[in-house]
Amino acid sequence: MSGLSLKYIRKTYGDIRAVDNVSLDFAEGGLTALLGPSGCGKTTLLRMIAGLEDPSAGSISLAGQDITRLAAHKRKFGMVFQSFALFPHLNVSDNVSYALTIAGTPRGQAAARAKELLDLVQLSAFADRRIGDLSGGQRQRVAIARALAQEPDVFLLDEPMSALDAKLREDMQVELRQLQQRLGITTIVVTHDQHEAMTMADSIVVMSQGRVEQMGTPQTIYHNPENAFVADFIGKANFFDGVIEGGNVRLGDRLLRVDPPANFIEGAPVRLAVRPEKADLADTTDSSNRLPARVTFVRDVGPVRDIHLETPIGRMVVAYALSELDQPFHIGDDLHVTLPAGAIHVFPRPADEQAAA
Amino acid sequence: MTAVDRSDVTVAAPAAQCAGLPWGSWVMGAVVAFLCVTPFVLVIAISFGQKVEGAGWEWSFTWANYQRFFVGALWPEEVTFLHVQRLWYSLYYAVIAAVLAVLTAFPFTYLLTRQSRGTQSRWLVFILASLSLSEVFIVMGWDVLLSNRSGLPMLFETSGLTDWLKRTGWFDVLREWGLANPRNVKFKTSEFATILTMSYLVWPYAVILLYPALSRLDRSLTEAARTMGAGPLRVMTTVILPTVKLPLIGATLLLFVFLMGSYVTVVVFAEPAKQTTAVAVYEAVRGSTLNAPFGAAQAVILLLTAAVFLGFAQILTKRSESL
Repeated sequence: MSGLSLKYIRKTYGDIRAVDNVSLDFAEGGLTALLGPSGCGKTTLLRMIAGLEDPSAGSISLAGQDITRLAAHKRKFGMVFQSFALFPHLNVSDNVSYALTIAGTPRGQAAARAKELLDLVQLSAFADRRIGDLSGGQRQRVAIARALAQEPDVFLLDEPMSALDAKLREDMQVELRQLQQRLGITTIVVTHDQHEAMTMADSIVVMSQGRVEQMGTPQTIYHNPENAFVADFIGKANFFDGVIEGGNVRLGDRLLRVDPPANFIEGAPVRLAVRPEKADLADTTDSSNRLPARVTFVRDVGPVRDIHLETPIGRMVVAYALSELDQPFHIGDDLHVTLPAGAIHVFPRPADEQAAA
Repeated sequence: MTAVDRSDVTVAAPAAQCAGLPWGSWVMGAVVAFLCVTPFVLVIAISFGQKVEGAGWEWSFTWANYQRFFVGALWPEEVTFLHVQRLWYSLYYAVIAAVLAVLTAFPFTYLLTRQSRGTQSRWLVFILASLSLSEVFIVMGWDVLLSNRSGLPMLFETSGLTDWLKRTGWFDVLREWGLANPRNVKFKTSEFATILTMSYLVWPYAVILLYPALSRLDRSLTEAARTMGAGPLRVMTTVILPTVKLPLIGATLLLFVFLMGSYVTVVVFAEPAKQTTAVAVYEAVRGSTLNAPFGAAQAVILLLTAAVFLGFAQILTKRSESL
């Protein structure tokens, strides 16, 4: 236990609930990603943890101490902002040693610590540069070094990669993760990029409309999504609407077998999700979930080939690693697709869509 | 046919540019230059002229007016610094009033930029509207407010505040500062009233000048400082003030130069011995002394003084930028 714990946190702006009843415990020394679409409340939650916003209800505690109303400057939480928020009037070294200077650390000692941190982020040659002379990636490193200077109890990062280009972002994700593992500091990263969350995090908290949809390891979240939102937001999925019939699911005149059998009442409206890479175009013996299909579109996306199909239960996309299947597909080809019973996720259909269905 | 048409168009367009625009801009430039430069050139030229006793003045080239400003008319027999002293009061009032206006407008503007858009708009409209009040109108208001018979001194007396000040010994302190006569407090005439009114006069300008810089101030800078252990005062001194240092200096300078030319406020509130060069210029040109060349010389010196201050500030700004 790092001891950072949120209990029933809520934040309202007028009638809008930005964060709604969130309770989370953060593992000590672990990296947790708060992941969700824009406006899901993840940044607001992070700002409440940092002390920059007051929760409307609930409590935040660190090592058993209630810090809900503790001012931000007394929390000792390092934070990296989306815009990096580096001080333009200070050079790189003075930016990094800011927290120490504020705390009254002797100048020489603060400068030595700044040098140590700049070494850590491989920027020691830039100590005397002005912030305006740095590139985006360098600024981000300075922001990270600066937030670590006070040896924070918790390290918070708000969309730290969003200002970087795609290539640099990939490198920085790995670098940040290695740095975090080396320092063993409890870290919370806000991101809307699932790839970023999967690359860096020990644990992912998927949020939507102010609520936590699911918390778990990246593998759990991907392979065992708890609801249709998580299945849709993390990775790609094919969705089909049906109703429960004897533990299986009926879609029109087809009955799809699911394993384990769906635990819903008979006739309940449900939504099925199948990952594109789980659907199988090679011949299999599972004839119950074998559907005729026609190829409507094919595209190669780097190492993966996406094959779009028209089937009796609706359209779907099947993904193959190029090395896995070298059979050529052409638009108009007739073939069969199998949805393995174990790869079908069954979720209750969202209430607002039941009437329409 | 189409090709020919197209070539006609491409040739015609630059020709039109050559024929029309440069001449137009030359004429415009000449008019603007004439309007801007002529009055200055005239004032500078007149400042070298000489007064004709009992008449007006005549063109000449003499340094006598400048000499009179710095060492007095009777030099070398006698040296007086009356006019230099007036210049000193011009600077003294303007510097303190400009600094006071910026210092008080700064926290107000900073808090204003933290308000909702609607609140900000309402305040800005109100402040812009107050700019329409003329100096004469404002000075008249303050004249009544500070007058001995009907203003604050009377309120002090009737409310018993004067007696309280006398009992606590503060009255003697106010007398030392020139803010009380033997019977009651008095604000007219005093440096206090002069500076206060000047400051009041330019306060809305200070807000308008500081508003753009403060509203652009990235809020994440102050938040970053907070997460690094800086309390509100530290955030102000280590982040906000250094970030908006240049706009603060700029606003102070602009108000200072503006206040150097204050006339009505000084005439009404400053003691006769503490009048400024701006007042002396008016007296020389239109008022009692009627000596246009000497008035022009004083105006030139006032202008040069302001220019020196602006140049000095420019050097300071450059130096702080390169640090």
